[in-house]
Amino acid sequence: MTQEQRPILTLHSVRKSYRGRAALQGISLKLYPGELLGFFGPNGAGKTTMIRCICGLLKPDEGSISLQIPDGFRGSRSSRPGLVPQNLAVYPDLTVQQNLEVFGRLEGVRGADLQRRIDEVLDWSALRDRRRSLARTLSGGMQRRLNIACSVLHRPAVLLLDEPTVGVDPQSRERIYAMMQELTAAGTAVLLTTHQLEEVETRCDRVVVMDNGQIVADGRLPQLVASSLGLPHRVELLFKQPCAVGLREFEFDEQRLTAVCRLASMQQLPAVLEVLQSLPEPPQAINVRSFGLQDVFLALTGRSLRE
Amino acid sequence: MILTFLRIAYLRLRNNPLELLLVFVMPVLFFSIFAMIFSQGIAAGTEKPLRLGLLLPAENVAAAELLAELQQNTSVICTELGSLPMESERTQRVVLEAQNSSHYDLLLLLPADFSTAEKYRFRMRLVTDGQNAMAVAMVRAILEEYYAVQRVEGVLRQMEDSAAEATAERTAREQLSIQRELSRRAALSGSGAEVGLELPAIDAAENAGESFRNPSTPRELFAGSGAPPSINPGKAPSTVERLASGLAPPVDLVPEVPSELGVEVAASNKDVERLLTSGPKPQISVDNPQATDQQNPRIAMYAAGIAVLFLLFACTGHAATMLEEAESGTLDRILISEAGLLQILAGKWLGIYLMGCLQLSVMFVFAEAVFRIHLWRHWDGFLVMAGSTSAATASFAMLMATICRTRSQLQGAATVIILSMSAMGGSMIPRFVMSDRMKELGRWTFNAWALDGFQKVFWFQSPLESLRPEVAVLLGSSLVMLLATLLLSGRWRRGT
Repeated sequence: MTQEQRPILTLHSVRKSYRGRAALQGISLKLYPGELLGFFGPNGAGKTTMIRCICGLLKPDEGSISLQIPDGFRGSRSSRPGLVPQNLAVYPDLTVQQNLEVFGRLEGVRGADLQRRIDEVLDWSALRDRRRSLARTLSGGMQRRLNIACSVLHRPAVLLLDEPTVGVDPQSRERIYAMMQELTAAGTAVLLTTHQLEEVETRCDRVVVMDNGQIVADGRLPQLVASSLGLPHRVELLFKQPCAVGLREFEFDEQRLTAVCRLASMQQLPAVLEVLQSLPEPPQAINVRSFGLQDVFLALTGRSLRE
Repeated sequence: MILTFLRIAYLRLRNNPLELLLVFVMPVLFFSIFAMIFSQGIAAGTEKPLRLGLLLPAENVAAAELLAELQQNTSVICTELGSLPMESERTQRVVLEAQNSSHYDLLLLLPADFSTAEKYRFRMRLVTDGQNAMAVAMVRAILEEYYAVQRVEGVLRQMEDSAAEATAERTAREQLSIQRELSRRAALSGSGAEVGLELPAIDAAENAGESFRNPSTPRELFAGSGAPPSINPGKAPSTVERLASGLAPPVDLVPEVPSELGVEVAASNKDVERLLTSGPKPQISVDNPQATDQQNPRIAMYAAGIAVLFLLFACTGHAATMLEEAESGTLDRILISEAGLLQILAGKWLGIYLMGCLQLSVMFVFAEAVFRIHLWRHWDGFLVMAGSTSAATASFAMLMATICRTRSQLQGAATVIILSMSAMGGSMIPRFVMSDRMKELGRWTFNAWALDGFQKVFWFQSPLESLRPEVAVLLGSSLVMLLATLLLSGRWRRGT
């Protein structure tokens, strides 16, 4: 994904209110082909409303939402985004194969094309062995994969996932992200909402932080940290007695019991630790941590995450 | 610990208004409905007058007298349907129309030569649709009482005539005997003197005739013994009933007479007995045109009642899948697919509709197989009614699912509404036992219209054209509910 590409999805100053309460307050956003965009924010931030607006389920009060389908995705079917709701949005009393057939038909895929797509999707989601099993008899991870599989049968240019890995074991989560990577590699733009900080930080190409119906941050995580917190790593020294010796790069508190240093890269850490060896009394504890999305959110909103 | 469980149960109940409704309001509501049915319907302690439709021959005095008699009876509300004898060709059509109107419990038809005078012949025809089983027994009893009264009056008239004839004959015989005696005495004495005669026997006979007649017309006899005989299975049959049914000789109907006429009375008793037991029986035929070629037409109506009740539940349950899909997000996925909201609603409605038709078909095919309701003979009427009823129930279910926010809300609300409609509409208690007011109230439910339609098809065996009102109401209400569903369907998109 390169920023020079034309965005698949563009939201411009989108506003939406429910009975006078503003759910979206001028959201502007671009999503590019092959991008995995993580949408992060507390409950009630407006993520679901935004997804419903993108899907066309809700009409914005103001602003515009446009979809530009790249050449790799031709046909009207691909212009409709795929939606993976948070809950298991399949028919539990149908088999895997029957669910895929039903949702494929609803998306306008029929005949041999449908059968071919089902075969592809069964392989992609590793559900071929269970295609004759009822959906309700599948494990949680398999059900999640089926949930996603039902949304891609029409080869959507944009896939929207709402908390796709909730309640899923690490192995299944890996499998799901592997599926996401295959999709983005094929040029599909994926937008997922999640509460899993680690997932957003490590899996997503770009992160959008949302709060109170507004986008408070948009970019790659290092950029967000740099713009909101400065240097991304923090080394903290805790002393039992007030430290009498001065340390370059470190800032002490008034009692000189705590010293903090910010690093641009973890590669600087050995040099810092080497300086500590020269102290007459070593610190009682050394805390090293990298700033993450929670710190960014805290810095931007002035409060910790609600949920 | 037990108190904690009690508190949990209490809090759950308190926080769930629908459950509160089901637990406390529903029983009261049902009690009220059934109380209204049984306090004003046929099962009430106060008797509801029977609605009797009459087809009487024109210019027939005996028929007019019978009508006047029936009109005096507070147990019956008489309505003249026309001046047609029962042999008339038009009569059958009038009877059919009257039955289809459901305004009459029973129809009474008299022949053109109806008479109570000529040999006391008493021929008539009662036509029932079989709904009110008591109507036939009650009206038959009233008519038999009337017949008995007419017969006794006739017998008494005969006895009076016979007594008068006997008196005249005896007087003549006595006068002849006196004249002979006078002639003999005159011949013996040779004086030829006239002897004055008193005829106490004649006076006694006349007095006896008066005392015989005065106290004892049949009506006076009934008046003296209390009210006219009524149908009461707990009591021994009255004299008139026994008399009319031929169970007992009419001895006790014969009035007391002076002892000096004992010989004549004995003869008269025998005459009354002979006349009443050997005379023509009342010819009251009872026809049930619906039952003539059906083993049990009521079964079809009960099949319809039960089928509509369960159809409502099944359709609502099926419509609840929409709420299930909305809760799981499946509906959102479908809404953004190629299928639009209108197609989704149409597809859902059609699915519920077809399931309803199938459910009704299964019920009636079973009823045909086991109870012989003649489904194949009425297949066209059945299809029309099954289609109309399923359409209404499908629309009702869709509307309910659209109004309710959750499945539990739908389940609770549907239970309350469906059971209420079924109780008022005749699915639980046949409508014909309800009071007119309850029947009118039932018209606000489509159960009532559906059941009336099925009743016309299977019971009255009415032609298809007669189903127009029911079909119009069912399809009309279906359309209205569908439009309401469409108006409210925006909620599916909003996800609220």
